[in-house]
Amino acid sequence: MTAINEFSVAIQRRFGRQKIRKFVLGSIPFILLIVLWHMNSIFLVFEPVEIPPIADVWGAIFWLQSDCPGVFAAIEGHNGCQLTNHVSSSVGRVILAMVVGVPLGIGFGILAGMNRVISAYLEPIGVFMNSVSGIAWIPLAIVWFGVGWETTLFIMLNTIFWLLFFNTMMGVRAVPKVLVQGVQTMGGSKLDVILQVYLPGSMTSIITGLRMSMGFGWRALIAAEMIGGDSGLGFMIFVSAQEFKTEEVFLGVILISIIFLATDRWLLVPLEKWTIERWGLVWKPT
Amino acid sequence: MTGDAKLIVQGLSHHYPDEYTGESVHALQDINLQIHDNEFVTIVGPSGCGKTTFLNIIAGLLPYREGRAMVDGVEIKGPGPDRGVVFQEHAILPWRTVNRNIGHGLELRKVPKAEREKRVQEYIDLVGLSGFEERYPHELSGGMKQRVAVARTLCADPVIMLMDEPFAAVDAQTRITLQDELNRVVMATRRTILFITHSVEEAAFLGDRCIVFSRRPGQIKTEIKIDIPREERLWKDMVNNPKFTDARDEILSLVRSEVTNDDNS
Amino acid sequence: MTTVDVAPHRRKSLRKTITDSRAIQLVILLIGVLVLWAIISATIDRPDRYLPSPLTTLFSSVDLLEKGVLISFYTDTLTRLVIGSAVGIALGIPFGLLLGLNRNIADMFYPLMNFFQSVSGIAIFPVIVIWFGNSNTTVMIVILYTSFFPIAFNVLSGVRSVPMRYISAARTLGASRFQIIKDVLLPGAMPSVAIGSRLSIGFAWRAVIAGEMLAGQAGLGNMIFAGQELDNTAQILLGMMLIGLTWIMLDHYLLRPLESDTIERWGLVQK
Repeated sequence: MTAINEFSVAIQRRFGRQKIRKFVLGSIPFILLIVLWHMNSIFLVFEPVEIPPIADVWGAIFWLQSDCPGVFAAIEGHNGCQLTNHVSSSVGRVILAMVVGVPLGIGFGILAGMNRVISAYLEPIGVFMNSVSGIAWIPLAIVWFGVGWETTLFIMLNTIFWLLFFNTMMGVRAVPKVLVQGVQTMGGSKLDVILQVYLPGSMTSIITGLRMSMGFGWRALIAAEMIGGDSGLGFMIFVSAQEFKTEEVFLGVILISIIFLATDRWLLVPLEKWTIERWGLVWKPT
Repeated sequence: MTGDAKLIVQGLSHHYPDEYTGESVHALQDINLQIHDNEFVTIVGPSGCGKTTFLNIIAGLLPYREGRAMVDGVEIKGPGPDRGVVFQEHAILPWRTVNRNIGHGLELRKVPKAEREKRVQEYIDLVGLSGFEERYPHELSGGMKQRVAVARTLCADPVIMLMDEPFAAVDAQTRITLQDELNRVVMATRRTILFITHSVEEAAFLGDRCIVFSRRPGQIKTEIKIDIPREERLWKDMVNNPKFTDARDEILSLVRSEVTNDDNS
Repeated sequence: MTTVDVAPHRRKSLRKTITDSRAIQLVILLIGVLVLWAIISATIDRPDRYLPSPLTTLFSSVDLLEKGVLISFYTDTLTRLVIGSAVGIALGIPFGLLLGLNRNIADMFYPLMNFFQSVSGIAIFPVIVIWFGNSNTTVMIVILYTSFFPIAFNVLSGVRSVPMRYISAARTLGASRFQIIKDVLLPGAMPSVAIGSRLSIGFAWRAVIAGEMLAGQAGLGNMIFAGQELDNTAQILLGMMLIGLTWIMLDHYLLRPLESDTIERWGLVQK
């Protein structure tokens, strides 16, 4: 008994009382949900085609990968590795769209933030583009690029670009003018001002934009894959649903959430915290 | 006399359109001024008299049309490293450490790293920021931030330093310390300084020469020489120095007459 | 690089006056976009398939109007939006309140809500389709699901952000627990309710469009989807314009004023 007590005291010291309390309380609904799910597959209140047993969802991973010769083949995109191919297809497009869309969005955002004439013309377009929303572009994208990866990439890019453009522009506008003047009076050029004042000054806003574009972009990508794609997790769950392979759908949905949650919690949120805490940035764009 | 003048201003006037009404506001009227090498000139005047406008024109942050302004014989056409500015608000960059803020001017001029570090350390010691080199501005007090701002400008080694009410935003106790320190730094480094303030005491305490501005449109009303060697300018001695108290009282009455004039009109 | 414009301000030219006016800038922009659109449309091959001219797009609405379908698409979509987000908000507010009032319940359900919010209505669409088929119910559930979370999260943080001193003040005046909720916490959370509602409706709007496309239910979303299947690109463009303009109107003239009015009126929470 004392050993257990000592152990619990040690754990409380290590992680903090509040954190443990939150962790324990927070996991109760998840455990309850999993128990209920499992009960269902025993008592069959809902048919397996409506709610598949947990074991089947887990089994779907191996079923989908059954023709995969190995890890290297999965990385290379061997035809048999269905699940990993869908994951890397979705994630790869996100990365590609980010690599192209983020610098473009930030670049135009800085230009528009610095120059009132440019922003006067780009801002209304941005408002309209964000209002149409990424999803409504899917049919037109299919007409332009056909069903396939070009369409899904376009949808993702379109969503990312405008969100980053807007957030960067707002961030640049909120940078105190005196910081710019400070660098100018020390002989800084326009490029110096952009790289050393506007870019770091709008960093928190840019990261907020990144989080938003991941949120909206990932959703738009899944929708685009469903309607106009030929690979990716969205495509996988849509096709599986048509064939009533519910366990594959459940697996896909869970993977989609986990990938999104992981990038947000472990990449973007820490990045946001880091810039705010380290630089003590307080001004917030409205 | 003009031979060693670092700043020459001739017949400078300025108008600008009011932000809301669009009407032309007459901010400055026929300013003539020369500041010589190693001279500390203070400008004092009632609020809204155009003294900050004047400084912004000299800094090159505000375009001007009427009259001439030259630094080291070169016409002012925009901001440049020959004029270092210490702003009223904290203009140091929040994303740079103390070290990198102070060395920023040299970095912009592509001074090699080794030399840059040597000079940065020199000025960090001079303004008493040793031990804070790697701190970010948000970790510093208001007084320390202004020390960084002063050191940043000193380190960039400008022809003339322009200071725009740099101690207005700190508390009274810190202000006295910073003023004493500024005197010490000026003695140690020999600088040409144009210092703007609304505090009469500050103007008399720091300036070799104090220029009183009239209310808008800002004109040079009078110029008062304060002939006290810099070594003797310490707050604990100055309060008993008749040269200082006389100058202060004279400036005070001049500024006050401007303010009351304003009320009558 | 560092030179400044030394142009005289008093001779503010006509050109500058024109380019400074916001309304005129908008008109210039609109004309510019239309002209550019027309030029591109005139120079490419098969414009009817890839980019019909602005006029063709406009005329395609005449056809749809004559058949009476355009109006019905419009009302279908708006009805779904209103009902779906209303139910979502009506469920989200009490849930958010419950979580905001009790720390234990909040700590318990917060991670679960976070997880399900990140699942997103679009991703669960295939699951709902299996349960309810390609029906109106499916679309409604997706809308409800997406609009529930933003409002619930906002109400939760709204209740939490009511400053403690207001609660203490009410307590010293002898207020009961119920009175504190009614007189302090609820009014204090009103701005968050407004912000959350606007967010919820925004999410719901996207969900309506996506849901109609995926489930093939009549509406604006289906109109653009059918446009692609029927090879009628003018119909797609018309639908996109309507979607964009409707949202701008809705957001600018209804939701934003509502939001700022509420914040102004109830904004006892100082940030």
